[in-house]
Amino acid sequence: MPASAPSASPASAVDMEQHARRDARADRLFSILAAAAGWFVLITLTGAALSMLWGGREAFATFGWSFFVSEEWDPVNKQFGALVPIYGTIVTALIALIIAVPVSFGIALFLTEVAPEWMRGPIGSAVELLAGIPSIIYGMWGLFVLVPIMGEHVFPWLNDNLGEWPWIGALFQGPPLGIGMLTAGIVLAIMIIPFISAVTRDVFLTVPTRLKESAYALGSTTWEVVWDIVLPYTRSAVIGGIFLGLGRALGETMAVTFVLGNSHRLTPSLLEPGNSIAATIANEFSEADSEIYLSSLMALGFVLFVVTFIVLVIAKLMLLRVQRQGGR
Amino acid sequence: MNDAALAAPAAAATPVSPAIKLATRDLNFYYKGFHALKNINLDIAEKHVTAIIGPSGCGKSTLLRIFNRIYAIYPKLEARGQVLLDGENILDPKYPLNRLRSKVGMVFQKPVPFPMSIYDNVAYGIGHHEKLSRHALDERVEQALRQAAIWDEVKDKLKQSALSLSGGQQQRLCIARAIALRPEVILLDEPTSALDPIATGKIEQLLAELKRDFTIVIVTHNMQQAARCSDYTAFMYMGDLIEVGDTETIFTRPSQTQTEDYITGRFG
Amino acid sequence: MNLYTRRRIRNVLALVISGATTVFALFWLFWILWTTFSYGVSALSPSLFTQMTPPPGDEGGLLNALVGSAMMSLLAIAIGTPLGVAAGTFLAEYAQHRPIGSIIRFVNDILLSAPSIVLGLFVYTLVVAQMGHFSALAGAIALSFIALPVIVRTTDEMLRLVPSAMREAALSLGVPQWKVTVQVLYRAAMPGIVTGVLLALARISGETAPLLFTALNNQYWSTDLLAPIANLPVVIFQYAMSPYPEWNAMAWAGAFILTLFVLLLSISARAILLRKKMTHE
Repeated sequence: MPASAPSASPASAVDMEQHARRDARADRLFSILAAAAGWFVLITLTGAALSMLWGGREAFATFGWSFFVSEEWDPVNKQFGALVPIYGTIVTALIALIIAVPVSFGIALFLTEVAPEWMRGPIGSAVELLAGIPSIIYGMWGLFVLVPIMGEHVFPWLNDNLGEWPWIGALFQGPPLGIGMLTAGIVLAIMIIPFISAVTRDVFLTVPTRLKESAYALGSTTWEVVWDIVLPYTRSAVIGGIFLGLGRALGETMAVTFVLGNSHRLTPSLLEPGNSIAATIANEFSEADSEIYLSSLMALGFVLFVVTFIVLVIAKLMLLRVQRQGGR
Repeated sequence: MNDAALAAPAAAATPVSPAIKLATRDLNFYYKGFHALKNINLDIAEKHVTAIIGPSGCGKSTLLRIFNRIYAIYPKLEARGQVLLDGENILDPKYPLNRLRSKVGMVFQKPVPFPMSIYDNVAYGIGHHEKLSRHALDERVEQALRQAAIWDEVKDKLKQSALSLSGGQQQRLCIARAIALRPEVILLDEPTSALDPIATGKIEQLLAELKRDFTIVIVTHNMQQAARCSDYTAFMYMGDLIEVGDTETIFTRPSQTQTEDYITGRFG
Repeated sequence: MNLYTRRRIRNVLALVISGATTVFALFWLFWILWTTFSYGVSALSPSLFTQMTPPPGDEGGLLNALVGSAMMSLLAIAIGTPLGVAAGTFLAEYAQHRPIGSIIRFVNDILLSAPSIVLGLFVYTLVVAQMGHFSALAGAIALSFIALPVIVRTTDEMLRLVPSAMREAALSLGVPQWKVTVQVLYRAAMPGIVTGVLLALARISGETAPLLFTALNNQYWSTDLLAPIANLPVVIFQYAMSPYPEWNAMAWAGAFILTLFVLLLSISARAILLRKKMTHE
């Protein structure tokens, strides 16, 4: 079968050229659309940041730096300070981390070294399922189930047994209501466990088997292999995973709003109601009746954005670093 | 030089030297600044099988991928010099890419059937270049599948997904897909390295038939395959074209020591 | 006690504790799911799907909330999917080796984990403040911003998994880049892209905070895109926080429906990926 010879007939050569030009134009259009969509992602993030900065400008202008350290929250007299929400955000996130990090580490260890093969898939999926549950469900469960238990059993126990201790006693003094920063911290911890454990497990799995095998061959126990080899090898990524969980905990709204109490009093006690940035905004947005009120809430949003942005950037950089080191 | 090798009187090969289909003139190739191909001057004979052999990293795949300018989709790769197809320089930016690709087809190392039916796979390229009636398209598809020696195996399941075929069958399908455009040159980049010996044998048989209609350039790291299938063999090493000639001469009386060392397995 | 025994004890202790932490986490999971199930099922009734949200003390249902959520979610996916697939295509096909690709990927991952309340405020400033009132449209836009990074990331990853030889094979047939992307690459990556869309849908179905500032809520039946609209998460929020037991019960019913929906979506998404893995290996 003789091959066609386009160069022989001038008509088809012209056809080909036209065809080529049409293809080139379509290619250009397509690549422009794709690029526009890509840039849109960038614009979204910048837009979000700028819009809150813009919305909060009146608050920042009026209160200046004292906005960050004032605990006043007086809608009537139009005096607003971010200290209580910021404090609550940080404290609840810290409590969540203190609980979630060791637990996530344990889960990752279990799933990579301890559990028999057939168990790993289903249990891993079950833990990931926790991540899929909407945060409002966590909030409702927290309010209807956890809060009564905390109020009737845990708070009084803590109050009676630890409340009198010097220094840390102040953390555990409060009415047996069940709502407060401790409860919120616990709910947040449960929420972020699946994130941190998923990242930690994935990262543990990237350790070259040969590295672990040589340690086992020298007689190390499983625990020693993990503590002395796996963890140092994956240290950056594990920290990255922790920061990822932290970022989630800082920004979580619904899980916390139900159980935190929405109080603007600054108190060291974990058993008293408190507030977080996200909960403040969620609870009070519809009640904001003055420009400065609204602006203060926007300013709070901007603070939250900046803090979570920094945390997430650190998380990403840590995770990327391990990718490069591992030569993946 | 290779003109002399082609017309070597000592070998009992062709009495008349064949037409040159594809030729490189002082071809240099740079990969992110690294000089990957150095002054390649190679003639490819029309309607014959030319094999390019050499150790890993010698640049044989790189050379092959210049022949249809597929390297151009990646950044920081640059070709300088000329590559003449029927006398026209295909490296000239004015040479239309779609014309080049309809004249030069390519088959890859890993069989990559498109996620479509067997029929659609073969018809895909045709559909883009030509407007054919259903009947004419059916004929072209059947013709291509016959030429690729796979028609009998798939004629009853043309609408099934191409992924249901075995590895060897998928590779023959990819060959059919390339042939369907009626190219003049077919480039094959280690086409059997992912296949078992039986499938490999079938494809080598196929090459012997295909060369009646197409000019074939095959890159292979398997010397024995080159010795079995090709009419001419080019040996490359570290970006240089060391020697080229008709296969029998290259494998029995190579003129360069490097060629001889490679052939006899002194290095791989 | 010699060193060896001490090490063995430490090892066993660590392994037991790791098992305990796993049980600990699963315990919470099952408790939360069980609570949702038991409270929710006991409040289920057909009227949930036939009647509107009632004033306190009255009988009613969640119909307007379910419809409102469905409308906004579908609109959000309709907006977010083309944008997300296009951006993912840009990252995988056009910006693979260029710095802009890494930057956008980085920013996208930040957007993925950013607090949704922040995105809600953004849309408030962008749409609600401009329009002068809350609206279902604003809600859908806020949800689309949350769905977008999920779809971008899955599309990007799935396209990059397609072997480069397939790209090259299609291009060497003389087919232009855009056709190769649409006719070959999307087909090859389709199960993954669909999974991304399902996961995005699961994610936005449960989002409450951004809706508080955009769609707000509506006691009555409304399908007007330019007016506040009832939606499941906000109704659940309002009813759960209220002191009325009938409202609390309905909140649980709504929570149950929502959780069931999200879990089904997640499982389907996972099943699609699993099927794809099995047919290709």
